Amino acid sequence: MLAGMAFYTLAAVAVVAALGVVSSRNPVHSVLFLILTFFTAAGLFVLIGAEFLAMLLVVVYVGAVAVLFLFVVMMLDVDFVELRQGFLNYLPLGALIALVLLGQIGLVASAVLQNQAVQLNPDATAQLAATNAEAVGSVLYTRYVLVFQLSGLVLFVAMIGAIVLTLRSRVGVKKQSVSRQVGRRRQDAVGLKDVRPGQGLG
Amino acid sequence: MTSEDLLFSLSWVQPELLLAGFVLLGTLVGALFGARSTRLLNVVATAALFAAGVMALMHRPEAPQDIFAGAMSIDAFGAFAKAVIAFAAAATLLLGAEHFHRLQDQQFEFPLITVTAVLGMFVMVSANDLIALYVGVELQSLAAYVLAAWRRDDARSSEAGLKYFVLGALSSGLLLFGCSYVYGFSGSVQFDTIAAAAVEPGVGLMFGLVMVLAGLAFKMGAAPFHMWTPDVYEGAPTPVAALFAAAPKVAAVVLMARMLYEPFAGMEHEWRQVIAVLAGASMLVGAFAGLVQTNLKRLMAYSSIANMGFVLMALAAGSPEGAQAALIYIAVYLPATIGVFAVMMALRHQGQAIETIGDLAGIGQRHVGFAALLTILFFSLAGIPPLAGFWGKFEAFRASLGAGLVPLAVVGAIAAVVAAGYYLRVLATVWFSPSAPSDVRPSSGVSAVLAVVGAALCFPLLLVFMAGLEHAADAAVRASF
Amino acid sequence: MMIEAILVLAPLAGAFVAGVFQKVLGDRLAMGITTALVGLSAILSLLVFIDLIWGGGAPRTIELMRFIEIGAFQSSWSVRVDTLSAVMLVVVTSVAFLVHVYSIGYMAEDPHRARFFSYLSFFTFAMLSLVTANDLLQMFFGWEGVGVASYLLIGFWYQKRTANDAAIKAFVTNRVGDFGFALGIMATFHFLGTIQFFPTEAGDVALFSAEVGGRLVDGVLHNLSHMSLMVGQWSIPAAELTAILLFIGAMGKSAQFFLHVWLPDAMEGPTPVSALIHAATMVTAGVVMICRMSELFEMAPNAAAFVTLIGAVTAIFAATVGLAQNDIKRVIAYSTCSQLGYMVFAAGVGAYDAAMFHLFTHAFFKALLFLGAGSVIHGLHHEQDMRYMGGVRRAMQFTWAMMLIGTLALIGAGLPIEGLKIGFAGFYSKDAAIEAAYAAGEGGRAFGMFAFWIGVAAAFLTSFYSWRLMFMTFEGTFRPNPHPSHGHEDVRPGAASDADLGHGADQHGAHGVDHTPSDAGPAGGSGHGRDHRTGGGDGEGRAAPAGTAPAHESPWVMLGPLAVLAVGAVFAGWFFYPYFIGYKADAFWEGAIHRHHADHHFPIWVLWAPVAVTAAGFLLASVFYLLTKGMAERIARAAGPLNAFLAQKWYFDELYDAVFVKGARALGDLFWKGGDQKLIDGLGPNGVAKAARFGGRQLRRAQTGFLYHYSFLMLAAAVLLGAFAIWAGGGLELLGG
Repeated sequence: MLAGMAFYTLAAVAVVAALGVVSSRNPVHSVLFLILTFFTAAGLFVLIGAEFLAMLLVVVYVGAVAVLFLFVVMMLDVDFVELRQGFLNYLPLGALIALVLLGQIGLVASAVLQNQAVQLNPDATAQLAATNAEAVGSVLYTRYVLVFQLSGLVLFVAMIGAIVLTLRSRVGVKKQSVSRQVGRRRQDAVGLKDVRPGQGLG
Repeated sequence: MTSEDLLFSLSWVQPELLLAGFVLLGTLVGALFGARSTRLLNVVATAALFAAGVMALMHRPEAPQDIFAGAMSIDAFGAFAKAVIAFAAAATLLLGAEHFHRLQDQQFEFPLITVTAVLGMFVMVSANDLIALYVGVELQSLAAYVLAAWRRDDARSSEAGLKYFVLGALSSGLLLFGCSYVYGFSGSVQFDTIAAAAVEPGVGLMFGLVMVLAGLAFKMGAAPFHMWTPDVYEGAPTPVAALFAAAPKVAAVVLMARMLYEPFAGMEHEWRQVIAVLAGASMLVGAFAGLVQTNLKRLMAYSSIANMGFVLMALAAGSPEGAQAALIYIAVYLPATIGVFAVMMALRHQGQAIETIGDLAGIGQRHVGFAALLTILFFSLAGIPPLAGFWGKFEAFRASLGAGLVPLAVVGAIAAVVAAGYYLRVLATVWFSPSAPSDVRPSSGVSAVLAVVGAALCFPLLLVFMAGLEHAADAAVRASF
Repeated sequence: MMIEAILVLAPLAGAFVAGVFQKVLGDRLAMGITTALVGLSAILSLLVFIDLIWGGGAPRTIELMRFIEIGAFQSSWSVRVDTLSAVMLVVVTSVAFLVHVYSIGYMAEDPHRARFFSYLSFFTFAMLSLVTANDLLQMFFGWEGVGVASYLLIGFWYQKRTANDAAIKAFVTNRVGDFGFALGIMATFHFLGTIQFFPTEAGDVALFSAEVGGRLVDGVLHNLSHMSLMVGQWSIPAAELTAILLFIGAMGKSAQFFLHVWLPDAMEGPTPVSALIHAATMVTAGVVMICRMSELFEMAPNAAAFVTLIGAVTAIFAATVGLAQNDIKRVIAYSTCSQLGYMVFAAGVGAYDAAMFHLFTHAFFKALLFLGAGSVIHGLHHEQDMRYMGGVRRAMQFTWAMMLIGTLALIGAGLPIEGLKIGFAGFYSKDAAIEAAYAAGEGGRAFGMFAFWIGVAAAFLTSFYSWRLMFMTFEGTFRPNPHPSHGHEDVRPGAASDADLGHGADQHGAHGVDHTPSDAGPAGGSGHGRDHRTGGGDGEGRAAPAGTAPAHESPWVMLGPLAVLAVGAVFAGWFFYPYFIGYKADAFWEGAIHRHHADHHFPIWVLWAPVAVTAAGFLLASVFYLLTKGMAERIARAAGPLNAFLAQKWYFDELYDAVFVKGARALGDLFWKGGDQKLIDGLGPNGVAKAARFGGRQLRRAQTGFLYHYSFLMLAAAVLLGAFAIWAGGGLELLGG
């Protein structure tokens, strides 16, 4: 009963917050709504007993990603009003598509109600494990080693890509090179010239 | 999963390990030596790709081998596809090396990213569960986004990269959305378990499958998920466009074939219609929109869309012959496409690879060799016998007619004729247009060699090669399904 | 075996050598080789003929090569030797040889002699393979081969527009006939399953019976009599259908009424060609074919009646037109047409022997007339309008004598006294044809009596126009051409423009109606001062005496053949009469053609009628053209419309032009502009291309480049695809399941 109440509360908040993300005029508000969505989702995770995932969601998405978003949005001057100019033009068609999609999802949902969906059978390893984190840890490097490593490669590519596309070796920038500073000798830096009076160095 | 299992699994992914190892070591080398190492890395990357392709071919199992607890499945079908992917990617990598060398824009990351993309394709080809599938797709796509935007100072290139990225993310969303439905209604991400569930098709599985197919269709560049293709091809550097037009198509086609023929074999009746719609739309869009293009790269983009339509038409047959025809089609499509891009890069206009059809005016008078190459390549793409392209189309039509898809075959025939129109239009410009005072200069580098190789492969090399190909494809399909 | 093969192939070898190696050989050698090879062929033909008739040789078939074997259909290239083909061999090779010899002189100034001789030899080969055919397909091959040769030779002076037009006209008109012939061959195969004439092996299925290896193999042609083709509710007798179709082929090739229009125009070719192809040999191919298929025509009385009717109409029609022509070659051409009508109606009434006999004699005297006319034309520097001739006799005595013999042979001068029949060649054969028609009419054969009366009337006209030709050409005073640039047979390569300026031969008749009096009438002879001009515009500078033609006799190489032919024209009838239709005929023919054996005794007036009208024709012509000056013109003027009608060849050309040429053009225009350009191109290639480009532009417009458009479209597509899948997969039922 309590779990049920919690679920519906959290779910309702999540949906409203998601709506807020796309409908608020102020982009900062949007990001804040997003963070709220993440929190409620984490709550839902807790409800199904996946507290490790819930924590990950809070730490990674709220703590890192959403905050990064917030910075980006605050620093870039994005005029969302202008972006939404054509919104009304496409509204009828978009609404129609959305309606069709809704119908389809309703269809699928009714299929679920008729018990066509499979009862999920949690992994036996996970059942044995005392905690969530332990369960995840026990399969991460064994059963899912391939996708885990591949995910690593994905991140690696993302990193390299970001560097390739953005890093520029800028010219004309003064940088401190400690080793050069230290290794510099007098002969390299100072020269004596015998200058005749009235003629200069020219 | 025991360490024995792990070792066993690793023994079957030697090509993938080779590529991954190269990427990691290459990054190290590049980080240490900077742009100076570009040439070395290009050479080694090409060699590694070749080696991976050969290894995949040589070390293929008799019967499909499930490894990594069923995440991947190694079989002859995949081995064949991997070899094709690796060779095509090696060719485009060579093109890219030459291209960027000419532009004085050497970045050692280029071979690394390319190889990573190939690694992603390898995973796609061998994926045996939805997670591996998704990760493979993402690895490939992410590398591709970066490659599309490679000329970061060129607005068109940046735009291409951004568009590709955003739309790709959207398609990945669709893919994941579909995957979640499939998981929900079958209870597993594993293909075999899904197959067991799909024997009794339900609306949930159907809906999930459609979303997955939509995501994959985007990766293939099939209509109506094709919108990115012309813009990205046009904006991306030419060798990158060549890469996009070649290797990822194979991976996406193989992945789609695997999805349809393995986990969703039980829903053949349902998905055949969807695939037929995709095929028809692709063929028509590719054929008709190509008619009004003036940019060669856009033209090749529409050509690839139409060709993907023919591949899908073969797949829509739903029979082993269909998969075989799709494999043959894609295998004969690659040399011709890469050859065309190679010619575009070999003919240089003010130091740049030529881009518009108009640049080709009068080539027939001044550079007969290249004009002849283009003729062979476009004839093959148009499917004019006795060139290889004809046999590809022939197989595709045979498969679809054999499965009773007569209306689709009619649409295909119309599309083939219309598409032949724009290929021939290019050739008309090449041969019959009065020689414009353009300073198109041919170069005799890697690109010229590759153009010749591509054109040579358009001859069913002649029949012996075709027979071998058909045999290989046949064996591959038979061993796998 | 060898002899027959060499006989047929020698001209082909000559044609090949002269045609391909003309540059190497040079003209003289090319002419020599072809003439010698055709001469060889002629000698061998004579040997074969003599062996067959007097030497006891048996009819035989020599198979040279299997040509086609598809299931039941087979055809081989063979040489059939029997009396029918032997007669034709002699006619074809001897006339061809003489024409070759003659051409050496006639074409002496032509720069393309080698080509000419190559064509001539090729024609000879094609004609030989036609007459020696042992099945309808080989006959068709020869048929088309002579058609091609005819086309090439009529258009030999291809710089002349009229020659080209005439060549095309001949070819196209023959298409109509050939189509019928081809259909006839198909019908034969359809009904009988074979097109072979005589069996060569014991197992052969052939149309006619023959002994093979001592055993008689029955022909299957008689099966045709109880077959028929059902078209809807109509039953068409197979024999009639096949016979009519084959005869349509003969109508084209033998220039019968309706399909005759090409023959007069074919005179645009060099005169030796006219003599060989359009008088002696090719045009008789239709008659040969009818005789070869005589058994078939005997089985088809209605078809035979049609043959008779067409033949008779052709005879009288051509003769009337011949009255009003002024071009010397055209007169002879219409005469040929008329004589072919005789042959055809003779065949139609069942007298195939008479038809062949007339064919045989006609070959000699008509070739003689043509070559003689050629000699006149040659002597007058390529003037061929009779209005600008006259008084040529004095300059060309020998030619005149030859032409006289030819004319006498043509009109059939002779005495039909019982037991003492004597006359020129045409006398025997033409009278035989006329008498056969009478006999058939008596016997109740359809159109027999009609043919008889037509034959008699045509004989009168023949006599009249023949003498008219003789008198206008050779007698009287010379009438030079006021427009000397005409030069119909101008052999200069650059003559095309001249010929264009000059009147096409077609227009001459019309001119004749209007201008003859002033040009030719002696009434205007004074005061024109034309006698003081040098004749013919030939630039020789030799002033001719008043009234004398500025002509010169032709060289002996031309006159020699004339002499040989003259011998034939005089004696061929008398000598061969017993063989062809007389008491030796059965032994002669040996069953090669169908013969009637009724012995007729004709009323005396029937025998005398042709001779009488011939004499009348002579007298009338003498009065008109010899004794009274200008009378012909006055009469012609008085009968203006009639004369114009005749001179314009019954307006057949105009009719065909209006109906077929213009009609076809209009139809073609309709299909081309309306059907092809608007409908097919409009909806087809152009329309589709337009639609395709339109579609392409629409798709390009959809390709906006805006990210949100793309993403929206992707989402929409995915959703709609899902809807489609659920709908197509019976999603609602799935839900229930």
